[in-house]
Amino acid sequence: MSTSIPPDERLLDLVIALVNTPTRLTKEQVRATVAGYADAPTPDAFERMFERDKDTLRELGVPLLTVTDAGHGDDIGYRIDLEAYALPPVDLTSAELGVLSLAAQLWQDASLRVDSARALTKLRAAAPSAQSSDLVAGLAPRVRAGGAALGPLVDALHQRRAVRFTYRAATTGQVRDRHVEPWRLVARRGGWVLIGHDRDRGAARSFRLSRIEGTVRMVGPAEAFDPPAPVRLAEAERSWSLGAAGVARLALAPERAEALRARALPAEAAEPDVAAGRDVVQVAYRTSWELAEEVVGYGDAVLVLDPPEVRDAVLSLLRTAAGLGQVPRG
Amino acid sequence: MAERASDRVLRLLGMVAYLDRTSGASVEQLAAQFGVSPDQVLADVETLWLTGTPGYQPYDLIDFDAFSLEQGMVTLTEARGMTRPLRLGAREAVALLAALRALAQDLGPALDDDRRAVLTSALTKVQAVTGPSAGPLDVQLQVTGDPHVQAALAQALATGRRLRLRYVNAADRTSEREVDPIRLVADDGGSYLLGWCLAAGAERLFRLDRVLDVAVLDVPADTHQVDARAEVFDPDPSGELVRLHLRSRARWIAESAPVEAVRNLPDGSFEVDLRVVSHTWIVQLLLGAAGDVLDVQPQSIALEVAATAQAALDAYEEQP
Repeated sequence: MSTSIPPDERLLDLVIALVNTPTRLTKEQVRATVAGYADAPTPDAFERMFERDKDTLRELGVPLLTVTDAGHGDDIGYRIDLEAYALPPVDLTSAELGVLSLAAQLWQDASLRVDSARALTKLRAAAPSAQSSDLVAGLAPRVRAGGAALGPLVDALHQRRAVRFTYRAATTGQVRDRHVEPWRLVARRGGWVLIGHDRDRGAARSFRLSRIEGTVRMVGPAEAFDPPAPVRLAEAERSWSLGAAGVARLALAPERAEALRARALPAEAAEPDVAAGRDVVQVAYRTSWELAEEVVGYGDAVLVLDPPEVRDAVLSLLRTAAGLGQVPRG
Repeated sequence: MAERASDRVLRLLGMVAYLDRTSGASVEQLAAQFGVSPDQVLADVETLWLTGTPGYQPYDLIDFDAFSLEQGMVTLTEARGMTRPLRLGAREAVALLAALRALAQDLGPALDDDRRAVLTSALTKVQAVTGPSAGPLDVQLQVTGDPHVQAALAQALATGRRLRLRYVNAADRTSEREVDPIRLVADDGGSYLLGWCLAAGAERLFRLDRVLDVAVLDVPADTHQVDARAEVFDPDPSGELVRLHLRSRARWIAESAPVEAVRNLPDGSFEVDLRVVSHTWIVQLLLGAAGDVLDVQPQSIALEVAATAQAALDAYEEQP
C-alpha cells in the first residue's frame, strides 16, 4: 500500500509491536518493521516521529522501558513493562460506571477534561456493559474552567517544578512577578486558587488564578521540592475552607427577607423573638464581611443586632454607600 | 473538534480489551459503552482491522468476525495480546478522583440512599486501583439549600414529576409557581434548579437557598427543549449599560458578574461595563461593594444606592 498511515494507526501498531516483542525492539527495527515509520522520508524525520510517539505513549500511561543489550553497549532497545501496563482487577457495576461518567464531566477546564476522559476510557474497558441508568439523571455538577493558567499549573504540580507568573495583587492592584513552588490547586466559592510556597517571600501564599496575567512558565528541574508537610498545607488552605464562623442575630421587617428566614437557626426558648415590630432570627455565617455584604442588600428590611463586628461592617458599608453619587471620590 | 490521535488510540485499545472479555457486543452497545456514535465504532473497527504485529500478514492482525459484523455484532477473534485494560496514569487518576471526591462529599448528602451508596462504592473501587493519591486538586461544590428541599427535588427529577415551589427572588418578593424540573446544577458557587416555569412559559434558574418550600405534585412533568448552556449567565444585550469604576479589591465583580468589558487603569483600579436588567440586582451589588466603588454611571443609579443606604441608617437610628 502506498498511502501513508495515519498517526493513530501508527501509534497503535507501535504499542502492539512492543507488547508482542519477545525481548525488545531497537530503533532501527521499529523503523524497518512497524507500519507507518517507513513513511518518514529522512533519518531525521524518523527520529522526530519516533521521539514524539514515545512521548505520546508515556503521556497515555503506557510504561515504555529503555533496555540496553549487555553485548552491544550503545545499542538501545524498547519494550513495554507488561506488569505495569495492566489495570489491576476492578469490579465496577453499570451504576458505578454511570457515576464515573458524571464525575468526568465535572470539569469545564479543557486539560482536566482530557485527563478525566482518558481515565474513564480505561475504566470503561474494564467495566461491564453500560446500561441506560437514571441513577444520575438530572444532575449537572460542574467546576468552572481555570483559564489558561490551570493547565501549566497542573503539569507543574505533577512534576513538582517551580513556576513563574505575573500576578495582580487584590489589595493594591500592583503587578509583580512571582516565583512559586505549587502545592495544591483548590476550587472554592466560584474560583480557582493556587496554594504554594512563594520563594521570594519564603512563606506559604495563595493566588487566585483569575489574577494571574499572561502565561505560567515552569522553571528549573522536575522534583525540585518535597511535597509540603500536611500541617503546613492544612494551615495554608484554612482560609479557603467553608466552615461556619459564628451566629448573628438579625431583626427582620415583617414578611421580608424570606431567604434569611428559611435558613434561620431554631430559636432558643428564652430568646425574645420580636424587637420593635421586627422579627428576630439567628443565622450562621462564615465571615463577617460575607454576611455584611448580603445583609446590606436588603436595605432597611434587615438590621444586625449582634455580633458587633458584623453590625459595624454593615454600618460602615451603609455610610459609604449613602455618600455615593454626591461628590466624585478619588 | 477533531479527536486527538492519542485519545483515539486509548479507545481502540480499550475496545479490544473490552471485547476480549465479552462474547461480543452490538455496535450500539459498544457506542454507548465508550460514549461515541455507532458510525465511529464502525470506523474504529475498520482501523483495528488494519493493525497488528510487524509482518502484517492476515494472521498478524487484530481480527473480527466479518459475518457477525454484517449483523451489527462486533466479535473479536484475534486480540494480538492486547487483552489487558491499561492502568490509569497519575494525572488521569488525580482528575477523576478529585471529581469523584467532590461529588461524594458535597453532592452525596443531597442524594437519596441508593445514589449516595453508588457514589461511595465507585470512589472506593477507583481508589483501590489508583492508590489514595491524596491529590494536588481539591474541589468543593457548594451545595446550598435546605435538605428537605434537596430531597424533594431529587425525587421529582428521578420520577419525572412537576413541582410547586414557594420561591423568593432577588428583589425579596415571594411567589408560588409550578415548575417542571430539568436538572440540578451544582458548582463551586452554589446550587440551582434549572426548570421550566409554567407561569413564565420559559426556562428559569432557581437558587436552591431561595426555595422556601416545595411540593412534589402528582402530575408528570412535561419535557422541554432547553439550551445546553441555559445555566450560564451571559450579559443580556437588551439591558441598560452601567459603567462602574472600582478599586482593585473589587476585582471579584469582574470575575463573577456578567460583564461586557473590563479596562485596567494604570493606578490599579479598573472600569467594568455591565448590562443591567434588574435595578434591584445592581443596587444590591453596589451596597455590598460600597467601599470599593469610585464612580457609577449613570448617576441615577448611584443616587438610588445612596437613598437605600440612608433609609437603612435611619432604621438603625430608630432601634431602641
